[in-house]
Amino acid sequence: MQQVTLTVNGREVTAEIDERTLLLEFVREVAGFTGAHNGCLEARCGCCAIEVDGEITKSCNVLAVQVDGAEVTTVEGLAPQRLAPVEHVTTQSLAGMYAPLEAVRTRAEDLHPLQEAFHRCHALQCGFCTPGMLMVLKGHLEENPEPTRDGVRHAIAGNLCRCTGYQHIVDAAMEAAEVMRGDAPVPADG
Amino acid sequence: MRAFTWLEPGTTTDAVALLREHAPGARLIAGGQSLLLAMKDRTAGPTHLVSLAGVEGLAGVRTADDGSLVVGAATTYTALTRLDATALGGWHGVLGAVAGDLADRPVRNRGTVGGSLCTGDPRYDVPVLAAGVDATLRITGAGGDREVPATGFAQGPGLVALRPDEVLTALVLPPRPRWDAVAFEKFRHRVFDAAIVSVTCALRAGADGVAEARLTVGGATPAPTPVPGAAARLVGPLPDPDAVAAAADAAAEEVLPGGATAGEAVRYRHELVRTLVRRAVTRAAADLRRS
Repeated sequence: MQQVTLTVNGREVTAEIDERTLLLEFVREVAGFTGAHNGCLEARCGCCAIEVDGEITKSCNVLAVQVDGAEVTTVEGLAPQRLAPVEHVTTQSLAGMYAPLEAVRTRAEDLHPLQEAFHRCHALQCGFCTPGMLMVLKGHLEENPEPTRDGVRHAIAGNLCRCTGYQHIVDAAMEAAEVMRGDAPVPADG
Repeated sequence: MRAFTWLEPGTTTDAVALLREHAPGARLIAGGQSLLLAMKDRTAGPTHLVSLAGVEGLAGVRTADDGSLVVGAATTYTALTRLDATALGGWHGVLGAVAGDLADRPVRNRGTVGGSLCTGDPRYDVPVLAAGVDATLRITGAGGDREVPATGFAQGPGLVALRPDEVLTALVLPPRPRWDAVAFEKFRHRVFDAAIVSVTCALRAGADGVAEARLTVGGATPAPTPVPGAAARLVGPLPDPDAVAAAADAAAEEVLPGGATAGEAVRYRHELVRTLVRRAVTRAAADLRRS
């Protein structure tokens, strides 16, 4: 066993863990942030991508002990999350969750421009790959404020989406880039 | 994954001592991008993992007094892509370009140059570039320090000429005057896939064209393979397209003899070697013409 301390989305979490614990498992099962998903567990699908000390990382291919002391940001840390999380998922609460964002009256500040653009451009269907897509694209757009469609496609080369065909994801990244640059007004919503 | 003990030495001396103490089950881990995949598959099951993350002086790039480029073994691919033309000048810049065009960004953020060299995977790019520019590797171990040529370090899939109690500390690229043009070419299906075949062409200019040429092919054989016969054809006046094509044919035949009429898998690689050598030589020769 090994003691590891990580700051996950601003919250310090210390735990005694088995050395084999992957960073993904630490974030999901120890820190309780289930936004990063376990897709392939072999660093191919990108569903587990999170930031470690500001650098995007596939958390299924890193041991928690390797990054002891690091600051970690998962998809939950992208935006303030004013909405109360759904705690107990039932068919009924799922139905409530499915309400369009407009209906639950989100405000622009509740979402990162990328999340907002994903919603607007219909850049997800099942949503399993979305947390990884958002985190990888966040890093790409911060480094490349004026992205090209080709550059965006290269950036998400390590993220697999089996629903959308990527077209709308690239659309969303291009739209989000405009908002992040300040060229486009934040769309009024709700 | 099999259970292991986690060890964090602060110096290479301590790392070597830990490797000796816990032989034969101890393994080094840098970024872990290849090793962890193998451990999850249980194709690797070390009893002790010796982390290089906390070892001082193992990450970073500097130019030595003689002009050679010393790349610390624990330097990540991303760190290399962030270096500008003063740190990676001339053909040394090919290392940054290669580091920025493999796997995907999250993997490049953690994967290291040393990991790429020590994994012994014939599909990886850095070993083919290192052998292709006649680089040397710095190794430290219980028996002292040594330097070996990058060519011949990899000996087959998963096999490298590193003793169990040794640590690769740096990849050393020769000084810039050693070559006047270096080109690296590879083929892969998807952007984040490892290369199927990769080629490095290094040329040194002479009074009237090419004074020295070096061609190295990766992926077609179990370890990066120099093709001196085909490279010798490039010495002389700058090669025209016919001469380049002839050298490419010769290279394919040298790496995979009889490959043109072999089974599908070999024929495919034979064809890739021809094509990639042609591209690499054409690009390097064009660089030479401009300089």
